[in-house]
Amino acid sequence: MKRVLIVDDSIAVARQLEKIVASDDEFEVVGQGRNGAEAIKLCQQLKPDIVCMDMNMPVMDGLTALRSLIPMMPDLKVIMVTSLGGVGDKYTESIRLGAKDVISKPFEKESVLEQLRKLG
Amino acid sequence: MAVKFFGQYLIEKGAVTREALLKAIDLQERTNLKFGETVIQMGLMSAADIGKVHQAQRNQDLHFGDMAVQMGFLTDEQVQQVLTWQRNNHLYIGEALIKVGALTKAELANCLEQFKQDQNKYIVEKIEIPAGVPHQPIWEMVADLTYKMLTRVAGLSFRSGPCTIIDQLPKRPIIAEMGFSGSVSARYLLSVSEKTRKLVAKAILEEDSVDNEPIEVLDDSVKEFVNIVCGNVAAKASQLGHSIDISPPEMRPDSAEGISVPADHTGLMFPIYLSDGEVFELTIFVPNS
Repeated sequence: MKRVLIVDDSIAVARQLEKIVASDDEFEVVGQGRNGAEAIKLCQQLKPDIVCMDMNMPVMDGLTALRSLIPMMPDLKVIMVTSLGGVGDKYTESIRLGAKDVISKPFEKESVLEQLRKLG
Repeated sequence: MAVKFFGQYLIEKGAVTREALLKAIDLQERTNLKFGETVIQMGLMSAADIGKVHQAQRNQDLHFGDMAVQMGFLTDEQVQQVLTWQRNNHLYIGEALIKVGALTKAELANCLEQFKQDQNKYIVEKIEIPAGVPHQPIWEMVADLTYKMLTRVAGLSFRSGPCTIIDQLPKRPIIAEMGFSGSVSARYLLSVSEKTRKLVAKAILEEDSVDNEPIEVLDDSVKEFVNIVCGNVAAKASQLGHSIDISPPEMRPDSAEGISVPADHTGLMFPIYLSDGEVFELTIFVPNS
């Protein structure tokens, strides 16, 4: 079972994602963070396999967190889940920094699960 | 379901790999020169004078070409020549993918057609913005995407009223807002009643009832709706050549008098009428210069 960490400043989105991820037996939600700084701390503590992370968050944004996370944990699979996914520069920067995928909001349940399964 | 970047669409469809897309983007970045780089390439200005224009841009909010004209480095005609050169030599991502061997011409044509169909639902419809307001197409797009997301994300049936210029927002219990910055700046405000907040929360949380949800979660759902709209506005704007950043959404503290439009701004208000008579508003505070 893959261990998933969800990072989003929106309680509503975090809940929505948790529901989607937990609906598949292949995945288990191991924690939730509210910003990039919490994402780094929780990754060190919980050692998840996958992180689903928002881009636009207070305190520390998702791209800043991604810049630290990938060198620290090269095997970590990060998916950015963001309303900014369709902005070419943001998409490209995410992929360059090592994100495995970018899911645009609004998203559909099946597309999220499909992207997670693709991570292998 | 969202406004997408063509490269993102191709990866989602499995038409190209991430590595091939990055290779194509690298080629695009080497080929598509910035205005200042193009000016040097065309031999119109020296690197030292380019630096002077960049320095001056820190103190005055002008595009490079306009600043260079103001400083006497270029004529209006030369600015047009540079823009034409950039347009004629622009390498689009699809062409770059062909050049790096990731797609054939036929595959590109096929993918572009499918992409257009996928994004058809986000074609901006005409909305009248009062005359004299700068960046009118952007505010048309903001209103139009708000309407589209109200239907698709929040599942609301409504009728939109004409855009008017206001000095003061009517008092509403819930106002979620977000800032745009970059090549276009503004404040986006969505003011709703408690009933509309519940409707948005039900849709965002995908729950049949939100009666037992704390206020924080209900407010958060409205903020997330605003975040989705503004993120998609930034994506659509980038397709139109504008670079827009967004800040995280916030709730406006309650104001007994309503909210005044800030000085040196124009307040554009778009009323939205629900079928049961409820009304709420999208408002945009646009800087005047």
